[in-house]
This record gives sequence, C-alpha cells and structure tokens, in this order.
Amino acid sequence: MKRLRKDNSGDAILDIIVYVIITLVFITTFYPFYYSIIMSFNEGSDAVRGGIYFWPRKFTLENYKAVMSIDYIYTAMLVSIARTVIGTICSLSFTGLFAYSISHKNLMFRNFYITLMIITLYFSGGLVPYYMVLKELGLINSFLVYIIPNLLGVFNAIIMMSFFREIPDSLKEAAIIDGANDLKIFFKIIVPISTPLFATIALYMGVWHWNTWNDAAFFVTKKSLKTMSYVLISLINQTESAARITETSGALGTTNVHRSKYTAETLRPAAMMVVVLPIICVYPFLQKYFVKGIMIGSIKG
Amino acid sequence: MNDGKIAVNSTFKKRFTKGMKKFLAQRYLQLFAILGTIFLIVFCYAPMTGIIIAFKDYKVSTGFAGFFTSKWASNNGMKHFIDLFKSSAFPMVMRNTIVLSLLKLIFSFPAPILFAIALNEVRNAKIKRVVQTVSYLPHFISWVVVYGLVFTFLNTSTGVINRVLVENNIISQPIEFLASPDYFWALAVITDVWKELGWWSIIFLAAMAGIDQNLYEAAKVDGASRLRCIWHITLPSIKGTIMVVLILSVGSLMTGGLGGSNFEQSFLMGNKVNYEKSAVLGYFIYETGLVNLRYSYATAAGLFQSMISLVLVFITNTLSKKTTGYGLF
Repeated sequence: MKRLRKDNSGDAILDIIVYVIITLVFITTFYPFYYSIIMSFNEGSDAVRGGIYFWPRKFTLENYKAVMSIDYIYTAMLVSIARTVIGTICSLSFTGLFAYSISHKNLMFRNFYITLMIITLYFSGGLVPYYMVLKELGLINSFLVYIIPNLLGVFNAIIMMSFFREIPDSLKEAAIIDGANDLKIFFKIIVPISTPLFATIALYMGVWHWNTWNDAAFFVTKKSLKTMSYVLISLINQTESAARITETSGALGTTNVHRSKYTAETLRPAAMMVVVLPIICVYPFLQKYFVKGIMIGSIKG
Repeated sequence: MNDGKIAVNSTFKKRFTKGMKKFLAQRYLQLFAILGTIFLIVFCYAPMTGIIIAFKDYKVSTGFAGFFTSKWASNNGMKHFIDLFKSSAFPMVMRNTIVLSLLKLIFSFPAPILFAIALNEVRNAKIKRVVQTVSYLPHFISWVVVYGLVFTFLNTSTGVINRVLVENNIISQPIEFLASPDYFWALAVITDVWKELGWWSIIFLAAMAGIDQNLYEAAKVDGASRLRCIWHITLPSIKGTIMVVLILSVGSLMTGGLGGSNFEQSFLMGNKVNYEKSAVLGYFIYETGLVNLRYSYATAAGLFQSMISLVLVFITNTLSKKTTGYGLF
C-alpha cells in the first residue's frame, strides 16, 4: 500500500513535468506567430509605446497596404508563385519518373545509377564550383535557375524509390499482359495508387520552393526576378539599419516615421505574414500528409 | 586458337544482342534513369570536378574550361590551403563553427526526444494532437521568417522581451540582442531547437507507437511507476531510432546538425556587429567566394568543410555499428 502511494506521487510529479513541457512548447511556438499577427494589424506609431501583448490596440490595415506598395512586390509574388507551381510540377514528374525507373530490380545498370545518386548525398562540389557551372549554363539571372537545378531531389528520389519498390508486381501484371508499356503503367497504375506519396512529396517540394531564398540571393541580381523570401530579407535588413539610424542619431528618422501609420516595427510583421500565409493555409489540411511523409522516409532509415 | 577467338566473339555477340534486347524492352525506364543521371552529372559531378580549382589560380573569365586549363597554384598547389589556415579569420570562423555545432548537438538532439516522451505521456488525445500540430509548424517556415520573428520579438523598441524586462524594472536599458556578439550563440541555439523540435519528435513518437503495450501492462502489474516505464521500456525501445538520428546529426555537424542551420543563421542573423561570433565556415566560404570573388580560396575552404563532414559521417557510422549494431550504410 505504501509503495503504491509513493509511485502515485511520483506519477503526479511526472504529470506536472509533462504538462509544463508541452505548455512551454505550445506557447513558445504559438505566441511569436500570434504576436507578429497582432503587431501587423496595429498602428505603427502606437506600437512603439509598447504594452501590446494579446490584442491590437489601434487596429489598422495600413501595414499591409504599405507592404503592397513595396517596389517589385507584385513581381516578387508572381515569381514566387510561378517558381513554386512550375518547380513543383517539373521536379515531381522528373524525380518521380527517375525514382520509378531505378526502383525496378531488373533494370540494367541499376547499381550504377543508384551509386551515382547516393554519392551526391555525401559529397558535393561546394558553392563556388556550383556557381560556375550555373554560370556556364547561362542560368545566372534567369528564371530557369529556380527550376532546372532543382529538377531532381535525391532525398525525395530515395523516398519515392523505396515506396515504389513495395508495390507488388501483381498489380502491374494485368497491364503488362495487355501490352502496356512502362510509361502507361506508370501513369495508369502507379500514380493513382501512390497519390498519398505524390501529395506528400509535392508538398515538401512546394514548401521548399516557397521558402528557399539562397538561389534568389546568390544567383539572381535582377530585381524583377527576386522572390518574396528575398524581398522579406531585404526588408528586414533595411528596417534593421533604419532602426539603428533612428536609435543612434535620433532626429533622422523620427519625423517621418512617427507621423505615418506604420513603422518598421509593424511593417516587418505584416510582410512576414504575407510570406507565411500560404503555408499556414495549406498546413491544417495537409499536415497529415507531412507526417505520413516522414514515416515513409524513416522506414528507409 | 582462331576457333577459340571466334567462339568468344560469338558468345560476346550473343550476350550483347541479348543485352540490347533487354535494354530496348526497358527503353522508357532507361530513358528516365539516364536523364536523371545526366542531371546528376551536370549539377553534382561537374561542380565536383570544379574542386580542382582549390589547387589552382582560377580566373573567372576562363569559365568552365578554366577549371582544367588554369595554372596550378604555388606551393605544389597548396597555396590557398596555406593561406586559409594562416588567415586571421580562420581560427575565429572555426571556433564559431565548432562551438555552434556542438551546442546544437547538445541541445537540439535530445530536445525532440524529451518532447516526444512528454507528448507520449499525455493521455488526453485532443491536447496531444493540438500541441503536436503546432509544434512542427516552425519546420515549414523559412529561416527568413524565423529571423523576422526573432527580430519582432527581440528588437529594442517594440520587442516583447525587452518591453517586459524594462517595464518591470528588471533592466534599465533594452538589451541589443541582435546587435551584440554576446547573444548570438544563445540565439542561434534556441532558434534551432525551436524550429526543429516538433518535427524530429514525429520520428520518435512513431517509434514509440510501435512499442508493445503489453510491456507497459506487465510493468504496471509489477508496480512500476511511469517514470520507471519510460526508463526501462520506452527509451530502450526507441534506441535504434535515437542512434540513427544521432548519426545524422553528427554527420551534418559542420553545417549545424539536423536543421543544417549554421549558414542560414549566420547569413540572416549575422551582421557587422556580431560578426566575430556569427561568422561560420559556410558563411566564410560564401563571403570570400561570391562577395570577394576569391574563387580558388573559397573552394579550398569548401573542400576543407566537405572533407571534415565526410570523415565525421564515416566515424560515427562505424562507431555506431560497432557499439549498437545500427548504421546508415
């Protein structure tokens, strides 16, 4: 009896620790987003006074209007959307077909193809030679730099390959007897039964395309070809230096910052929300696919 | 003798025609396998041949061909490596890389395990689902946005942290979290944990879902507390997963562990003020290569980084195979 009680008290402590941990994780994850949202809807000059923690005090849409008036914001959005849609479709097809091909056990030179692919996981040429190759191919300062170098994702190819390998041959046999070629089998049989896989990988690729900024920063100098992520970086850096100027040499920024309805501190979260919005939108509907995807990946590991 | 040759020839021919037949039968599959291979050759292997410029005096005007035609560097081609190891920035960059990577390994690797265990102990399915769903949202947010969040949260005028601290008279002046070298390491590690915690916990939770529930029932009958169950049942059952994730994190140590965040953090959160603490090897390569246009020198630094990473992967894999039997290859 005594032992039982002791164990129970231990369990109660454990429960407390458990709930402290998950509450902490929940708040630290949720609140920064929430705080940015309320800041983005608050008047700039008012936000500087502080004390806004849970609700916007002076509600305004000016911040979002200001974001929409940033130079090249519409082209940046267009570029981001275009690269996400086109990039995902192209690399999903390319990676999928490649993965399907090398998933065949009787494919000639299969080991050669797979070895060649695996090596790239552990070794790469590095940034500078990669840049030189892109330059040689004329991809620098071209929209195609967002699409072509990302056609084949090796990690995704491995995940897809291990999925295709598990599909029983019996499913294909009927089609083979009917004289269907491999292409037909892929599109008529494999794709329909692998929808969760394709959805998962498409989501990975889509989110990656939307989020990535390295290529826009390194390989593109034309303003009209920059992506939303890149615009956000330059916006944050701009406001950072602007904020420093106002802090160090007071008078410089004050007059025109305080009079307007938005300031750097509220413009930034508004721009962030514009960048995050598409992801937040697809997130609740599709997060189950994400989880499924990491499972498929971990089976291989 | 002649007969033998003919015989060999004919079997070779037979084999060849048989191979051709097989190849043609799978022509569509071969087409895509070859296309994928061409892609790898162009975008992975061609840059690998470019590593050679680490040992040469490469001029950008010579293009791709210049990889091979440019002159070897002095000191038997090792000039750029010698310059690198002798440069005043090198010890600082190496220190930052190593310290940040180790700190991330110490905090970012166990955190998801702890979180997964905590989540696994939650009996209320709804709470569990909500917390988990929220927890891996940051994984899908780019570092750019994380930087924005950090900035919104920590800036000196409207940042929540500074506001709360100042308004409660804990500090008199707002702290310059972002524009001070003192806070960069802590900031980098905390944001790294924050971003990848929920995501990596999925893998551990999946492993926990596979544990035979009878084990827990049996332990309960024996009067074991839940803490004991965690220690003696949960943890040993997910040992394999833990090892695989550990290998992955040590293998990618140079780039910042599981999240691979060293470069992005350095690029985004780094600035002139905190440079001495924020510049990591990856950033140094970018800066010398694409900003200062010292191509050969940057490639040498890049090769140095790749070699260390490669060695780390092999060492951890071998060690893990010997001690626990789990390995990636």
